[in-house]
Amino acid sequence: MDATILGFLLLDGLQNGVVYGLLALSLVLVFAVTRVIFVPIGELLMFAPLSLVWLLSGKLPGTLWLALVLGGAWALLARGRGAALPLLGGMGLLLVFFLALRFPPLAYPAVVLLVVYLGVASYRVFFQPMREATVLAFLIMAVGLHVAYQGLGLVFFGPEQFRPEPLLRGDAVVGLSWQGVLVLLFAVGSVLGLYLFFRRSLFGKALLAAAENRLGARLSGIPPQEAGMVAFGIASLLAALSGLLLAPLINAAYFMGFMLGLKGFVAAILGGLASYPVAFLGALAVGFFESFTSFYASAYKEALVFLLLVPALFYQSFRVRAVEE
Amino acid sequence: MKRWLAMVLVLALAASAQEALKVGVVVSATGPAASLGIPERNTFLMLQEILDRTGGVAGRKVQFVILDDASDTTQAVRNTRRLVEEGAVAIVGTTTTPASLGMIPVVAEAKVPMISLAASKDIIHPVDAQRFWVFKTPQTEELMARAIVADMVARGVKTVGYIGFNDAYGEGWARFFETEAKAKGLQVVVSERYARTDTSVTGQALRIIARRPDAVLVGASGTPAVLPQRTLKERGYAGLIYQTHGVANPDFLRVGGKDVEGTLLPAGPILVAEQLPSAYPTKRVALDYIQRYEAKYGIGSYSTFGAHAWDAWLILKPALERALKRADPAKDMAAFRAALRDEIEATRGLVATHGVFTFGKDEHLGLRFEDAAVMVRVEGGRWKLERTFR
Amino acid sequence: MRYLWFLLLLLPLGLAPFPFYLTLLNFFALSAMVALSLYVLTGLAGMTSFAQAAFMGMGAYATALLAVKAGLSPWVGLLAGLALSLLLALVLGALTVRLKGHFLPLSTIAWQVALYILAGNLVGLTGGHTGLTDLPPLVLFGLPVDTGFRYALFTLFLLVLLVLALYNLRESRLGRALLAMRGDALAAASFGVDPARLRLMAFLLSGAIAGLAGFLYAHFLRFVNPTPFSLEASIKYLVMAVAGGVGSIPGVMLGAAFFTGLEDWLKDLLPLLLGRQGNYETIGYGLILALILILAPKGLWPMVERYLPSRDPGLPKAEPLPLKSPKGPRGEVVLGVQGLQKSFGGLMAVAGVSFDLRRGEILALIGPNGAGKTTLFNLITGTLVPDGGKVFLFGREVTGLPPHRVHLLGLGRTFQHPHLFPELTVLENAALGTFARTRAGFPQVLLGLHRREEERALATAYGALRRVGLESLALERAERLAVGQQRLLEIARLLASGAEVLLLDEPAAGLRAREKRELAHLLRSLAREGYTILIVDHDMDLIMGLADRVVVMNYGQKIAEGTPREVQRNPLVRAAYLGEEEAA
Repeated sequence: MDATILGFLLLDGLQNGVVYGLLALSLVLVFAVTRVIFVPIGELLMFAPLSLVWLLSGKLPGTLWLALVLGGAWALLARGRGAALPLLGGMGLLLVFFLALRFPPLAYPAVVLLVVYLGVASYRVFFQPMREATVLAFLIMAVGLHVAYQGLGLVFFGPEQFRPEPLLRGDAVVGLSWQGVLVLLFAVGSVLGLYLFFRRSLFGKALLAAAENRLGARLSGIPPQEAGMVAFGIASLLAALSGLLLAPLINAAYFMGFMLGLKGFVAAILGGLASYPVAFLGALAVGFFESFTSFYASAYKEALVFLLLVPALFYQSFRVRAVEE
Repeated sequence: MKRWLAMVLVLALAASAQEALKVGVVVSATGPAASLGIPERNTFLMLQEILDRTGGVAGRKVQFVILDDASDTTQAVRNTRRLVEEGAVAIVGTTTTPASLGMIPVVAEAKVPMISLAASKDIIHPVDAQRFWVFKTPQTEELMARAIVADMVARGVKTVGYIGFNDAYGEGWARFFETEAKAKGLQVVVSERYARTDTSVTGQALRIIARRPDAVLVGASGTPAVLPQRTLKERGYAGLIYQTHGVANPDFLRVGGKDVEGTLLPAGPILVAEQLPSAYPTKRVALDYIQRYEAKYGIGSYSTFGAHAWDAWLILKPALERALKRADPAKDMAAFRAALRDEIEATRGLVATHGVFTFGKDEHLGLRFEDAAVMVRVEGGRWKLERTFR
Repeated sequence: MRYLWFLLLLLPLGLAPFPFYLTLLNFFALSAMVALSLYVLTGLAGMTSFAQAAFMGMGAYATALLAVKAGLSPWVGLLAGLALSLLLALVLGALTVRLKGHFLPLSTIAWQVALYILAGNLVGLTGGHTGLTDLPPLVLFGLPVDTGFRYALFTLFLLVLLVLALYNLRESRLGRALLAMRGDALAAASFGVDPARLRLMAFLLSGAIAGLAGFLYAHFLRFVNPTPFSLEASIKYLVMAVAGGVGSIPGVMLGAAFFTGLEDWLKDLLPLLLGRQGNYETIGYGLILALILILAPKGLWPMVERYLPSRDPGLPKAEPLPLKSPKGPRGEVVLGVQGLQKSFGGLMAVAGVSFDLRRGEILALIGPNGAGKTTLFNLITGTLVPDGGKVFLFGREVTGLPPHRVHLLGLGRTFQHPHLFPELTVLENAALGTFARTRAGFPQVLLGLHRREEERALATAYGALRRVGLESLALERAERLAVGQQRLLEIARLLASGAEVLLLDEPAAGLRAREKRELAHLLRSLAREGYTILIVDHDMDLIMGLADRVVVMNYGQKIAEGTPREVQRNPLVRAAYLGEEEAA
């Protein structure tokens, strides 16, 4: 292997790694606040670019109706004043979509809004009613949603891939397109943004406190329900934006999200589902590892990436003493 | 448990109450092979409409019972047993090789003829006690690999690289292509795998480029076949790029765009039906299928996979007519199924969309290489006939 | 009652004219086996696995390879398959059973994905993604099991045997210990359960059951390829088990039946409702699952069970094990504590405490809140490892031994907050104490060879309940008990365990005056019989009236030791308690 190949592999690993990293951060955040392992995040990630393609070709995507149906269920569950948010959100969504049919640039914010609305509504309709369920029950629910959303993805968008136009064309350097640069910048920006949100803003700090301790949530004045909605909202926002930026590079299809989410998940586990920095670094490690294994042993790449977890778990098993009060 | 039992009984009664000739269809309309399975399902939906309009076969109604196996062996087997139980006279399907292989013991046990829509030669070869009941319409990888290798040799290619799906499709192609290439004196210098869901194949592309093959074959189906080709181009690979007939659908061109310009692939002649010389035997049948399919599902919507399903019906229809003269399914289903199998095997010179089918005692594929494969090049975002092998 | 499961064998007879429904029955039986493997793992042991399909794959590929490539009998393949699944479970379990909560399921995902890819890519060995064809049929006593009917009879028969074996497991020392460990590993360890080992055993059993299902799958389809052993398949089995109710055997069976039927039912129904254009099965599947989880969080079975008559197991009649055989002379040192130290992040919780506990005495450990009493308890029982100092039990050093090992030597404890298992009966809770005194391992229990021992264990527990006066509540669920009764039940569990040295952590907290008097009476009579008691409590009246000697701690140090009267006069003690009162 020479320096050029090494450079290409590193760039490739970096570009994949940061996306896994954003997903890992989202998963850790959602898990910390709600104990939900947000498996369908991959589907939400793919819904963004696929809906965009539909909207830009002058069609309303099926995801819009899905979001409105879930929003309706959310409003019914919330009743009273709580129903204002889903109802206004739903109407806003419909309006933005009809406007976007006329003014194509509006399509980008429209699909981001759609995915965030869908993510929050999923939490309110499916996870919130389970409240004090076990991690396992939440996990099964998340898997159920993944299966349902993936099935809907096939119905809405068909079996094939789509490739939205990149925002920026051409290569920045050999081996890295400008669109790739955009992905990297977005990742850096998001990490910075999350950092500022959690360290500087009052709400962010309170959310972190809520994540560390369910009781702390009540003390800090955020109802757990609201904390959960915010966590799902942030996760969906990151997923939607990652999806939009990534789609021109990878070709979006309904079946592509799950694996992305799973890799982010591997990274999140490397961070013990608790540490944000370790999860992000873990994601970069997964990216690089994947890039190099695809060079050396492409047939076994996925196996090797997932077996990367084993030493991490081994380390954890020596650190944790099983019996604690 | 009780409710479940009741449901079972209701279903069983419903199944026995009808009289139409039932043809069981198993396709992969969801899951990894959905891109191939959906046009097959659509073709049968279209056939059902046509048959309802024209009154079926030999005065009898025909009903296609279509079940999805989600590209999964277990479900394919379950579906097959169910169709057999519901009185299907024959089974068509399924889309993928492993699931088709899984169905073989079932149809052999029940003694029902089956026409597979999957690629591998293993499904119909050798014709043993079980495969006695099994036929198939798509070209084998072996046959298509022959076309590719012949084309490569003609272009003076000496070394080739391979990158394919990490599944049964990519594996089948790797096996038959590499065997055929070696037999014709080509050197396979690199063989890589990637997953349909992969978002990057940079590592594999770099490895291929480092070995400098004269040509690269991408063993993948549908739009995910674009990614390796695009990555190879972006990383500066200048040699020939071949794809398999698994990409022969309009979505591949749409997603691939400029990146797949100049791609060479083997395909059933139907892909370029209107460009075929008028003497080409399958031209008229193929154009007929395309015109019907596009009338129902839109201009440019047809793919070659749906045509495999159509071919299966073209074979089945006369066989049914002949078998109906020999046995009555209402009286003796087993005899009818056996007669139908014999009549399928007796098919001679049947012109279909992908070639001319002639089955025999030891020949359950029935396609001749010369009629069933052409080389196609992507030019200006369209399929362009490169050469035939006649 | 449980033998009613044999009625399942009538199904193939009734459905014999409909081969497809025989196929469904076969798939039901196979799914139910995998779901039962999850009952062991999740329902009993509280772990979760996303790799059950991989275990199936082990069983399936082992027999396929041996039969197709080596031409060996499928029964050799069965042994090889079970061995292989056990091996996988051993490796996987050894790596992960010590992990808490979600790490186990997550690591099983990794193994599942990795093994799937291996099966698909070791083309020379496994036939790759294309798979291996032409597996021979099973032959049983010269009769080929090759039709759907015969196979359904065979698999259902095995399924029923498995169900009976698992009922045996549930109603045994191991079943109780698994349930206890799931709820509270700490308490389980306090009466002799080695949680890591027991988890590993559950994992092995679960892997072997799934491996058996894989073996049956392979010879039913007579074809193997990787897709039935993928992550998706594993998820499907988990969904079945959880939706049916993973906490009970009928629950997972119901789940398997429901989802096996549901798929085909959706295939019929949805096209009628929505047309043939789409494929809505998976969507319906996901949404039905969501509904079940929201409306019936514990699965479907508890909703059904409400309407079924419940059955009274009756009281045990067997000869009990002796509650205790006090040996050795009174006044002999049974527990020696020498200079124990423990700090948490620089804060000295216990700073060099020493004292001796003598046979037949009641020693009270008192001190203000935060004095380090509970930490000291945890150091003695092995729950925490001391930074320095030594603990001797019956003259043997036990410093740093894990709790279950310490318990085996004859030391038992109760907890500040009672650690009971609400879903078990009072009798079963007390019977948990006998874990360390009974021997039946997994093989005996599964085969039902443990019955006599089990009867004796229950009788022992019943005896212990009588000793503390709870015998009238023996068949109630523990969640019905009042606080005072819960404390007594914990003591009964200790007595059933045969421990001679009893460490009681605030046994009088939350008791009413009359209950406290009864407790004091009970403890005194136990001490008279030769039990040795170390008690921590805040109730000075109780302690001063009960204890033979008192050790006083403050800020992690022993500040006084002596008879109650001596201690009460000690100025240091008065300062410590006065200081606390001032602060309060």
